[in-house]
Amino acid sequence: MGSSKIIRTIVQKLFPFIVLFGLYLISHGHLSPGGGFQGGVVIGTAIILLALSYGIEKTEKKFENKRLSMLEKLGILTFIFLGFLSIFLGHSFLGNFLPLGKPGQIASGGLMLLFNIAIGIEVAAGVSIIFYALVKYRGEI
Amino acid sequence: MNPINISLLVFMIGLYGVISKNNLIKKIMGLTIMNGSIVLFFISIGYREAGLAPILEKGTTGGIPTTIFVDPVPQALMLTAIVISISITALALALIVRIYAKYKTLDIQQLSKER
Amino acid sequence: MSKEMKKVFFIIIILVMAILFILSIDIEYGNPKNLDVTNYYINQGLHDTGAINLVAAIYLGYRAYDTLIETIVLFVAVTGVVFYLRGKR
Repeated sequence: MGSSKIIRTIVQKLFPFIVLFGLYLISHGHLSPGGGFQGGVVIGTAIILLALSYGIEKTEKKFENKRLSMLEKLGILTFIFLGFLSIFLGHSFLGNFLPLGKPGQIASGGLMLLFNIAIGIEVAAGVSIIFYALVKYRGEI
Repeated sequence: MNPINISLLVFMIGLYGVISKNNLIKKIMGLTIMNGSIVLFFISIGYREAGLAPILEKGTTGGIPTTIFVDPVPQALMLTAIVISISITALALALIVRIYAKYKTLDIQQLSKER
Repeated sequence: MSKEMKKVFFIIIILVMAILFILSIDIEYGNPKNLDVTNYYINQGLHDTGAINLVAAIYLGYRAYDTLIETIVLFVAVTGVVFYLRGKR
């Protein structure tokens, strides 16, 4: 049970650009306003847009519930694993152990890019799982 | 009339919504409005006269910057506050779906007689 | 609570909020007073973390522990929503 054909065509043409914009916000988190939370919510909104226009059955064939749940757990465990890896290498918990680099490029700031990617995956999967759980409730109503 | 006074007015509007409305979903909307007003208050506390956004130029190498920047500390605190507001709203809406499934009403006067 | 008590509560809260609003109508806006921590973050942020976004240098560099706890809060909220909306077994 989706929407009309005009909305389905436009959403199909717009979906890659929304995901690309979300990935731009995540990867430029230490150079311009943005970061992990903002980019993750944009990617989650793209998946919700697909679910609203094509119907929840067809969207769940492409973005399964079990796979999104696995991605969310992977995101939060990567964050904790990076913290403990920094203890093994001699610095403090969640401290920096990569070289700092030239300010202004993407490969700068040490661990901040990896933190942003882990947070982005976790927030995108979390928002999508909340939407799936609210729509598919078939309990005692 | 600066943004600090406006944030107090928006907080009053949200408080009116939580107290005086009988529907449960309107109470949750009042909570979200109150969260927004607190974020506005904290960010507008750190404003400096003729200050720019706290992002350095692309070609700086080191040293102490000479331009005047707005305070970046409340902005970093409010990122956490916004994420916690999302979590509270999501859990409250899930509870409201279960309440409606069991009692078939969302009116708080009828719910408080249910016992 | 009954209708009269709700009206009395409402009027008391409106009175207190109006007094607060009138007392704070000429609050100082535009020059904060204590800027020691802010000046340290602005002067040393690029040297310690290497990022030109100072807000990201604060919440991912100097205070990354708070960001970790916030992600855990979001994870617990998603778990709670899935638990409440499980449906028939």
